[in-house]
Amino acid sequence: MTKDKIVLSVLLVLFALILFSLSAFPLQEIFPGSTAEHIIKSAVEETASLNLVTAILYDYRAFDSLGESTVIFSAVSAIVLILSFKQLPVSSKGLSFIVKRTFALLTPFIFLFGLYIITHGHLSPGGGFQGGVILGSISIIFCIIYGSAFDYEKYSPQTKTLLETGGALLFVFMGLLGLFTGGYFLRNVNPLFGELGSIISAGSIPFINIGIGFKVGAGLAIIFYSMIQKTYREE
Amino acid sequence: MLIREIIAYIFMSIGAIFAIITVIGLIRFPDVYTRIHAAAVVLTISAAFLTFGVAIYVWEFFLSLKIVLIGVFFLIANPMATHSIARASYRTKVAKLKVRTVDEYSDYLGSEDK
Repeated sequence: MTKDKIVLSVLLVLFALILFSLSAFPLQEIFPGSTAEHIIKSAVEETASLNLVTAILYDYRAFDSLGESTVIFSAVSAIVLILSFKQLPVSSKGLSFIVKRTFALLTPFIFLFGLYIITHGHLSPGGGFQGGVILGSISIIFCIIYGSAFDYEKYSPQTKTLLETGGALLFVFMGLLGLFTGGYFLRNVNPLFGELGSIISAGSIPFINIGIGFKVGAGLAIIFYSMIQKTYREE
Repeated sequence: MLIREIIAYIFMSIGAIFAIITVIGLIRFPDVYTRIHAAAVVLTISAAFLTFGVAIYVWEFFLSLKIVLIGVFFLIANPMATHSIARASYRTKVAKLKVRTVDEYSDYLGSEDK
C-alpha cells in the first residue's frame, strides 16, 4: 500500500466521522429563542430590508463587514507596496477592431448591471461585494481588450485610490451617523423612512452597499494593475 | 394549455434542437475553426430562441424585457468571443491547418509562414 492510498483512506475515514457526527444534530430545526428565529421573524420590521442576508451583513453584523472591507484594504495596500516598485509599461495594442467595437457597445450595459446589483442589494440577491466585482471586471477587461494604456488614461491609479478610499470613508461615515443620531456605532439610521420594498428604504443599508461596491471594484482593479506590472511584456 | 404556452414550448424546443446540433458539430467537425464556426453560429441562435421562448412563457413585461436583453447580449457577445478565440488561435499558431487551399488571412497579415 503506497503512501497516497494511506493518506486517502485516513481522509475518507475522517470525512465519514464528520458526516456521522453532523447527523447527530437536528440541523433542520430552529431552536425557539435563538438568534436565527429572531432574525427570521423580525428582521424585516427592524431593518426594512427584504433581503435577510443583507440585513445581517449590513445591520446586525455591520461591524464584521467593516472588518472585511478593512481586510481588503490592507490586502490592496500590501500588494501595491510589494509589487509596485516598477513603472507600468503601457501598451495601446489590444485585440482586433471587431472585439473593440463590440465591447464598446456592451460596456454601458455591464456597468448598469453592476450598479443595479449594488443599489438593489437590500431588495434582491446581490449587494456591494458582488456588484463591486462586476465593476472591477470592467476595468480588467479594458486592459485585455484595449491595452493597458486605455485604462491608464481613463482611470489613473489616483482615481482608483480615490474611489476606494471614498467607499471606505462612506462606510465609516454611515457608522458615525448612527452614533450621532442617538445610538451606537453603525446603527441603522431611520429604517422606517421610505416604503418597504422601494429603493429608498432600509435606512443606511443602501449607502453602505454603495460604499462597499465602489471600494471592492476599485480595490480589485488596483490589485490587477499592480500584478500585471511584473508579468506584462511590451511588444 | 394556453396558445401562448404552446408557442413558448415550440420556441424552446427549436432552441434545444439547435443546442443538440451544436454539440454534434463540436464533436464531429475535424479542426478548431470549423468547431468554432458551429459554436458561433448555431449556439448563438439556440440561445436566442431559448431566451425568446422563456420570455413568452413568463409573459410579464419587465421580466420578459430582462430575459430578451439576455438574449440580445448572447447575440452580440457570443460571435465576438468566438471571433476572438479563432483569431488568437491563428495568430499564436496554436491550431495550424494541415490541408488547406485558400488562406486569405495569412496574406492579409503578410506572413510568409504558410
